[in-house]
Amino acid sequence: MSIKYNGGYLPTVGADGSTLVANSSASTGVSWAGQAFSQPVLNSAFQIWQRGTNISYSNETKYAADRWQASISQSAASISQRATGDTTNLPFIQYCSRVQRTSGNSQTSDIQFAQSFESINSIPYAGKTVTLSFYARAGSDYSASSKGLQYRLVTGTGTDQNVLTGFTGQANAILQTPALTATWQRFTATATLGASISQMAINFVFTPTSTASTNDYYEVTGVQIDLGSVALPFRTNSGTLQGELQACQRYYYRSSTGVAYQQYGAGIGKSTTVAGIQVKLPITMRTVPSSTIDAANLSLYDTSGTVVVSSVAQSGLNSTPDVYYLEATTAGGLTQFRPYILTNSNSTSAYIGFSAEL
Amino acid sequence: MDNINFVDYEQIDSLMKTFAIIDKGNGEYVSMPKADYDAQIAANQTLPSNFVGIGNAPADPTA
Repeated sequence: MSIKYNGGYLPTVGADGSTLVANSSASTGVSWAGQAFSQPVLNSAFQIWQRGTNISYSNETKYAADRWQASISQSAASISQRATGDTTNLPFIQYCSRVQRTSGNSQTSDIQFAQSFESINSIPYAGKTVTLSFYARAGSDYSASSKGLQYRLVTGTGTDQNVLTGFTGQANAILQTPALTATWQRFTATATLGASISQMAINFVFTPTSTASTNDYYEVTGVQIDLGSVALPFRTNSGTLQGELQACQRYYYRSSTGVAYQQYGAGIGKSTTVAGIQVKLPITMRTVPSSTIDAANLSLYDTSGTVVVSSVAQSGLNSTPDVYYLEATTAGGLTQFRPYILTNSNSTSAYIGFSAEL
Repeated sequence: MDNINFVDYEQIDSLMKTFAIIDKGNGEYVSMPKADYDAQIAANQTLPSNFVGIGNAPADPTA
């Protein structure tokens, strides 16, 4: 059934619960779309960078912006937070991610930049029509052939897997390679997902050519997935900066306030060299954080003096998604059974980080 | 080049477990069980020659 309006016809009546939205690409100027509830992409506007706002890569796979992981088989590349600097072509999104091959680098293997979603956040989209959208632009020396940036909406049938190590039953629901320009553009693509998918991921692929010049990069932001065939106005997953931070901390938490002698946790001297320390995590994480800890410039403090920590390690069995228990090793000078606070060595660059990523 | 040290930690069940402490410089380090470190090396996750990942960009069927 079509509804007549203003001399024309509205599209066929949409599915129950769908809403009518403006769509300049449709002949009628309107389309039925899914409801504008929360979208699943976390840190979609690149506001949260707990690991630092400029991450260097040398033949490795690791996270940059929270929830965004890159796999770069090249000796010199970087991912950094940048200001979009454009309020005309962007809906007032402050930040973007710059994915850059370092000047002088002549390696041309793919630079992959991806976000994998938990199954619990993917299954609601199974069997549904979805629209992936994002904003992107190219640096003046962006070297990809025809200035292309490949993007994919990848699906899988496994549980809580990481797309950069491969999904079970992996398939590309969307695969496009639009040409970027120096000006921000919004790109959208629509697909209907398989009914049995249990995972989704977004993956951007930059395939560089020749030797990198100074501005061999692309920038991306405003990454969004909507139900239906229309890209709705951009919004973040949580709607607030605090909500976005906490959503990201479900997967990774780094305590790094930049304050000298910041405190991270407290515990007891186990021997003259080791203290057991409990760190209360700010939110319940996805799982018990992994036994891989990243840290810098830590000390133990007994209200009298500090002892430099040489390394920390998870002490198994009794960590939970809420509380992490670790052992801090020093060169000596601790007192057994004396209370200690885990602090830093008068350092503004100290941190300790825990991961529960996919 | 990262500097790797192996440190034995006594666990809460009194068993000893060896951790790899990967010194990244500037006071930064990563700590992980040696078994995980060995598995990572075996998988050559940091080496381009053995990167499995999602695979190189396939041809775009829509192009």
